[in-house]
Amino acid sequence: MLELVRVSKHFSGIPAVDDVTFSARPGQVTGYLGPNGSGKSTTMKMITGLIELTFGQISFQGKLIQEDLIAYKRRMGYVPEEPYLYNHLSGAEYLTMVAQLRNLPVRASSERIDGLLRLLSLHDDRHASISGYSKGMRQKVLIAAALMHNPELILLDEPFSGLDVASALVLRSLIQELAARGKVVLFSSHELDTVERICSRVVILHRGKLVADDTIEHLRSLMGLPTLEGIFSQLAVERDTDSTARQIADLIHA
Amino acid sequence: MHKLLRNLVRRLPLQFRVLYNQFLLRVIDLESLSIQADVPRFLGQFAGVLIMFSLAQALGLLIHPPMSPESMQSLLDSVLQRMIATTMLITGLIAVVSWDNIFPDRRDVMVLFPLPVRPRTVLFAKLAAAGAVAGLGVLVLNFPVSLAVALLIGGFARSLFVFLAYWFTLAGSAALLLASVLTVQGFTALLLPRRAFIRLSAVLQLAAFALLIAVYFLEPSLLTPAAFQAPANRLLLASSPQFWFFALFHQLIGQLPPGCAWLAGRAWAGLGIVLAGALASLLLCYLRTMRKTVEEPDLLPAARGSHWTLPFGSRLQTAILQFSVRSLLRSRQHRVALAFYLGIGAALTLLILKQDGPLIAVPHPLLPGFLFATFTMMTFAVVGLRSVYALPISLTANWVLRTTQLAPPELYIAATRRSLLLFAALPVWLASALYGLTYRPLYQVAEHLVILALLAVILADLNLIGFYKVPFTCSYLPGKSNVQVRFWAFVIVFVPLATLGAMEELRAFPHLLQTAALIAFLAAAAACLRVFNRRRFQPAVLYFEELPEEILTTLHLVTIPPPISVPSPRP
Repeated sequence: MLELVRVSKHFSGIPAVDDVTFSARPGQVTGYLGPNGSGKSTTMKMITGLIELTFGQISFQGKLIQEDLIAYKRRMGYVPEEPYLYNHLSGAEYLTMVAQLRNLPVRASSERIDGLLRLLSLHDDRHASISGYSKGMRQKVLIAAALMHNPELILLDEPFSGLDVASALVLRSLIQELAARGKVVLFSSHELDTVERICSRVVILHRGKLVADDTIEHLRSLMGLPTLEGIFSQLAVERDTDSTARQIADLIHA
Repeated sequence: MHKLLRNLVRRLPLQFRVLYNQFLLRVIDLESLSIQADVPRFLGQFAGVLIMFSLAQALGLLIHPPMSPESMQSLLDSVLQRMIATTMLITGLIAVVSWDNIFPDRRDVMVLFPLPVRPRTVLFAKLAAAGAVAGLGVLVLNFPVSLAVALLIGGFARSLFVFLAYWFTLAGSAALLLASVLTVQGFTALLLPRRAFIRLSAVLQLAAFALLIAVYFLEPSLLTPAAFQAPANRLLLASSPQFWFFALFHQLIGQLPPGCAWLAGRAWAGLGIVLAGALASLLLCYLRTMRKTVEEPDLLPAARGSHWTLPFGSRLQTAILQFSVRSLLRSRQHRVALAFYLGIGAALTLLILKQDGPLIAVPHPLLPGFLFATFTMMTFAVVGLRSVYALPISLTANWVLRTTQLAPPELYIAATRRSLLLFAALPVWLASALYGLTYRPLYQVAEHLVILALLAVILADLNLIGFYKVPFTCSYLPGKSNVQVRFWAFVIVFVPLATLGAMEELRAFPHLLQTAALIAFLAAAAACLRVFNRRRFQPAVLYFEELPEEILTTLHLVTIPPPISVPSPRP
């Protein structure tokens, strides 16, 4: 189980994440939601160990991640929000490099890379430079790199970004399949429909603070709202969205 | 004057001014600089090196022992030729370093193409930015010498006239070089398909770089009127713009010997041709290049072909070394930076080897030149590669190395050390061994190769002191390291030390014991350094530079009421 206890991150004194506590369990897909700037990606980076916490603690399977960060990294796969990759490498070279850095066995990793590239429809372009890849292709490379070592904890930050419909459907099923096989999956997305379909519980963040942490069913009955979109709008979105849209239209029309 | 300039600038179109300011800031690739970089100080340090060079030349002209008018003229001519050559070198280097900047990159095109901005406005802003940086370099390099030359040649009466003639000549020589580079780029872009242009452009950039360095270091000076008249030098004179502009200066001040008018004519003609060629080719190809930039990715290696995965040791070592060599081979910025060091090293090596006699006459007796040249090349190769390792390939992509860092830092640093030895030291050592076959006796050449190998190991370990990084993952810190100190350290420390070393080595060669002692001393030094470094590497933490976190992402279009908190049931 992944547990965050009173986690905070301040940048130059400004709290980006403020006193956040929640947990993600094996066998479940935990949705991590929030509007832009709410601190989702910062939390993800803290969970990966990329940035340090200002306060609080994060543990995985009962052990603080900082106690043995290397052992923790072996068990974690991460798809970042932005598809930042080494553009001068080809897709196959990039995945091979990640496999080498993770010290995966040569034969097994090359078979796994080949299989992932085929299943993600990247095989034909595997030797082309990543600089020529579309956003969706880059996203697929990130997904392959995050999963190739069969991690126990999977962190997905906007994993559907840029994917076409077919690939998105595959990924949606894959996330559920991985959770069913006992992985801990923390999934951050703006696509509330997808979250509603695949997540068993959601954590909602607003302005760096936790505003909800529950199953979708329980939130629906608690708030008397039929959809996750309604719940999310109630908790984390400015209520006067129509008025804002009207004001923008008026402003550019003037 | 300042007011006049400001008024003149204000008359320029607003779009041009805005773009010029943007492009001027980007003549230096900000991606490769650290967020802690002190760019103004860095540029100041480079300017300092140029001013020091110019001051040394100017003082050499003004303060000297009494000499005959002929000797004085010869000194003046030598300084003039050197300044023209150096100005052309500096302008050429600026043109080569900012090679890609003359064409808009994908970001420029995506931002500017949808806006009502004409391609020629973008082109002129780019040209003006490149010209401004080159102009600044020329100004800093020549100011002290221009004053000295004006005083010595013109006296008080004609000093202003000579001063202006000097600046016209130097500005012309710089413009010739800059426009030549642009003409080559323009016609290549115009005539070739986009993909072929990108590939050839990378080769051309390195070729231009090598040519500039080679010409600067290897081209002789001609200091007497007889040398200018000699038929043996006619080809050299006809093909070297340095002499064309030297003649142009004398034509402008009215002191050109009649037999040399053709040289000044070449300067005028060359300048006209390349200026017109650059402008015409760039105007013709610019719109097409902008369209093609959007349509095609910059880099697309063929889907078929060789996709080698050469093992370099353990999985981690292989990953780091393959990443390093691919970055070097595929990143133009890194290739150019490495070529800078290798080019200077190679030019100095050739210059030194030439002192030993004709390069093609074999076998040579073993002379200090060979020893010194190989030391120099080895130093430039190792130091150059280590410096290039400090230029990042993509800071934003570093996260993958951080999230996959499963081995202790010392193994990463050991991989970096291996890459320095394999990619920098080994090629130089092999080339030295090959060229060493032309020297006799061969056993002494073998002894020197052992010493050279030990020197390579020492250099690699020296360069890794404090380098707790993976190659290409951290920014260069311009302004934090002192360029001037490094430059003068090379001149004052390395050159005498290498010369002394070469002399001592040569003296030791005939005596087996002395040679053995020298090798043992170097081996002990290498071992000590290795032990020292390994001890420091063990507790080290790998450093990855990251871009600062972006905090501000919300638009805050409306005032948001405080969120409703739903108490979350604890599991």
